[in-house]
Amino acid sequence: MRRNYSDIAIAEAVAILACAALLAHLPASVTIVPGLGLFAAVGYVWSEVFVSPAAGGLERAAVAIALALMVPIFGGLGLYAAGIPLHRPAWAGLLAVVTLAGAVVVLTTRRRRDEGARRKPRPRRWSAWHAAAFGAAAVIAAGAVGLAVVSANAQKYPGYTQLWLSPLQNKPLTASLGVTNEQGSTTQYRLVLRRKGRVSATWNLTLTNGQTWQRTVAITDKYSIVANLYRLPDLTHPYRNVSNGA
Amino acid sequence: MTVVDRTSEWQSAAREHSAPRPPRRQPGAAAPAVLESRLPVSVVTLIAAIGVFVASAAYTAGRMGYASSPWADRAYWLGQALVVAPVALRLLSRRSLVPSATATLIVVLTVAEYLLKICYSPLGFTFTDELLHWRGTVNLVQTGKLFTANYGLPISPRYPGLEEVTSALISVTGLPVFAAGLIVSGLAHLLFICLLYLIFSHVSQSHRVGGIAILVYSGTPTLDSFDSMFVYETLALAFLGLGVLAAWRAATGPTSGERIRWFVLALLAIFATVITHHVTSYMLVGSLVLVTVASVLSRARHTAFMVGALAIISAAAVASWVIFIAPGTLSYFRPTVEGLMQGISALQSGGSSHAPSTSAAPLGNQVLEGIAVLLITALLPLGWWRVWQRDRRQPWMLAMAIGSLGWFAALALRVGTPDGQEIAGRTATYVYIPVSFITGLALIRLVSVARVRRWDAAAIAVAVMGMLTLVFDGLANGWPPYWERLPGPHQVAGFERSVGPQEIATARWTLTALGPGNRFAADIGIYPLLTGYGDQNPLQDVGYLYTSPRYTVSIARAARAQVVQYVLVDRRLSQSLPASGTYFPGDTTGYSQPIPIADLNKFNRVRGVARVYDSGDIVIYDLQGAQDAP
Repeated sequence: MRRNYSDIAIAEAVAILACAALLAHLPASVTIVPGLGLFAAVGYVWSEVFVSPAAGGLERAAVAIALALMVPIFGGLGLYAAGIPLHRPAWAGLLAVVTLAGAVVVLTTRRRRDEGARRKPRPRRWSAWHAAAFGAAAVIAAGAVGLAVVSANAQKYPGYTQLWLSPLQNKPLTASLGVTNEQGSTTQYRLVLRRKGRVSATWNLTLTNGQTWQRTVAITDKYSIVANLYRLPDLTHPYRNVSNGA
Repeated sequence: MTVVDRTSEWQSAAREHSAPRPPRRQPGAAAPAVLESRLPVSVVTLIAAIGVFVASAAYTAGRMGYASSPWADRAYWLGQALVVAPVALRLLSRRSLVPSATATLIVVLTVAEYLLKICYSPLGFTFTDELLHWRGTVNLVQTGKLFTANYGLPISPRYPGLEEVTSALISVTGLPVFAAGLIVSGLAHLLFICLLYLIFSHVSQSHRVGGIAILVYSGTPTLDSFDSMFVYETLALAFLGLGVLAAWRAATGPTSGERIRWFVLALLAIFATVITHHVTSYMLVGSLVLVTVASVLSRARHTAFMVGALAIISAAAVASWVIFIAPGTLSYFRPTVEGLMQGISALQSGGSSHAPSTSAAPLGNQVLEGIAVLLITALLPLGWWRVWQRDRRQPWMLAMAIGSLGWFAALALRVGTPDGQEIAGRTATYVYIPVSFITGLALIRLVSVARVRRWDAAAIAVAVMGMLTLVFDGLANGWPPYWERLPGPHQVAGFERSVGPQEIATARWTLTALGPGNRFAADIGIYPLLTGYGDQNPLQDVGYLYTSPRYTVSIARAARAQVVQYVLVDRRLSQSLPASGTYFPGDTTGYSQPIPIADLNKFNRVRGVARVYDSGDIVIYDLQGAQDAP
């Protein structure tokens, strides 16, 4: 009896192409589909090893997905134990190798298994109305998620401005002094730095929404250093303030 | 092997009991055809999609400032009813239902609820545990190493399954962590439900019982939250499901080759569960032991041998993992176990366990909870009777019946022990598995009884209402809690509603400016963001730093003892009481009024305390120079 191995060949082709795409460092928009295909290939091939051809479609799909999820768990531990960093080449190589190994096992075992036991797919009897209903459901569900994304992006939050004076890591006598404007629009500030109560420096800042201004300043714990940020035109009340605590 | 489908048996039993009784069939005459439903699965799917859209619109109303509006709340529940009711009606009706249609219905129900979870937080993770696993995944992606520190959930790096899968997906697709996390958790959740359906269907030999049991299981308070979030339990549950299904197949497979393959698959599922989540692996061991005991009781030697072997191997795997890889698991669970033991001993001695109020939820939620508890408690004996009458020699049925006794243990835990509400809530995921199966058996039997069948439509309507009650109870008393049912503006010391741009920016700033792993005092609202986006080490029991008008010597000593490096003060704590009931993690103080602003501002006057960050609502103080300040 002639056997059909086209499914395994397709899975292998997907795995090899996905690996090639990943190793070629193609952009993420390109690698999403082959990356998902790589997961699907490894799950499918190994489900062919474990699940009888007579099993139902849902059971086969469930086992395939579960196996696809298991491979990184066991493989990741193995790679880690071997001292291989778990970055893209390692994951891609792991999935491709396990897919190839699964194909070899399928090719050896499928001969022994009863091909006749494989369930013949029953012809679908979907009417056009049913197909339209499923299609409409998918569109509405996608619309619901789209609505959520749009409304979450449009949700209004109070604007804010960040001011900081924090010692730089590994440079204790130097600090980062910075301002970020998240008020929702371009905002004018005046930043006044005082040492021992005397004005040491003044900056007039005009920051667009999301813009950050940053300087490195010398600090000490011997005397007080205070930075007051005023939001123009109010120069009386500091809008934000930070200090070194001395 | 040939699996007898008893679905038709239910339907023919129903026909036999119908009134007026039809004339006896002549031998050889064809059985009367079961009527086709007027509600096709495609239409159910369409209605469910509309339900998702309506509930999403309610979320949108919440974001637009109508989170407290009664009509927005009603729109949410209308959406949920549109999702659940048609599925329940189709499953409970005695009209024709093929296995693929049942499977489609449970997939529709699960996917619809998962889409609603996405609609709640469509731009990023907002729930505490999801943010903790977000951090674990980012650590793995960035370092390429397992077992790196996760300050918010120190035990999770020792159970790295979820992070490994997500990291692999991110690496091979280039997807961001949020998208990859949604895919992994969504797939795992759907996989768990499908595997549970397969188990129920195989054990009962009826896809309709399987479908109704899944419908009952949808009433689990944690199902649409903790069990579908981007957390390690979600993935481990899928492996638990596969482990149990594979054990069933290994015990009942038609050929030795098939039994061996399923046995190997069961082993893989067991090991994957052990690596992924502690509690789920213990529950898997417990499930296998339970089936073994039931097999011994029902004298099913082959099943006892196969499943017993799996139970021993799984117990050994769990013990080995805890001893050699995750020894911190014991200390992680010690407080929970000690609290549980104290509660149980208090109950046994007849004293008070000082159990907290079972629920602080609104009256409506409590009534719903009470009705659901009564419904399940009333249906369970009927299910047990059904098992005793017909299947007491079937080990898996017997195991389900014995396992469903856990319902009463969970009820006792809930009302009788400290933290019982929390523990009972988290164990519901596992307890509801046998409970929903037995309840499903009872329900399908009930609607088929002759006297009930005389009022066919009314009986189905009552059953659908009962199902709606169970599912709505799970949603109302599950997560998110009632006070953040809809997304909306910031809430003081809440959970999802405490996550906003300012809090996220502050958390990110701490990582950029201060580096990872600093010991932070913070309120419960920003706590998960500090651990997630900030990679900081927020501390428990820090309320004393915020609730006094002066920074006294004793406070300074306590802060030094805790090695507090930074104090994050959210000045909004002075504006309202905490939405979650407490301002600070680990704090059990009952607050009757907001914290005075002077108490929060006191750090400005402490010599040596640097004010390193100010974003208006949020200020961060560096306490490291304040050791001799008072």
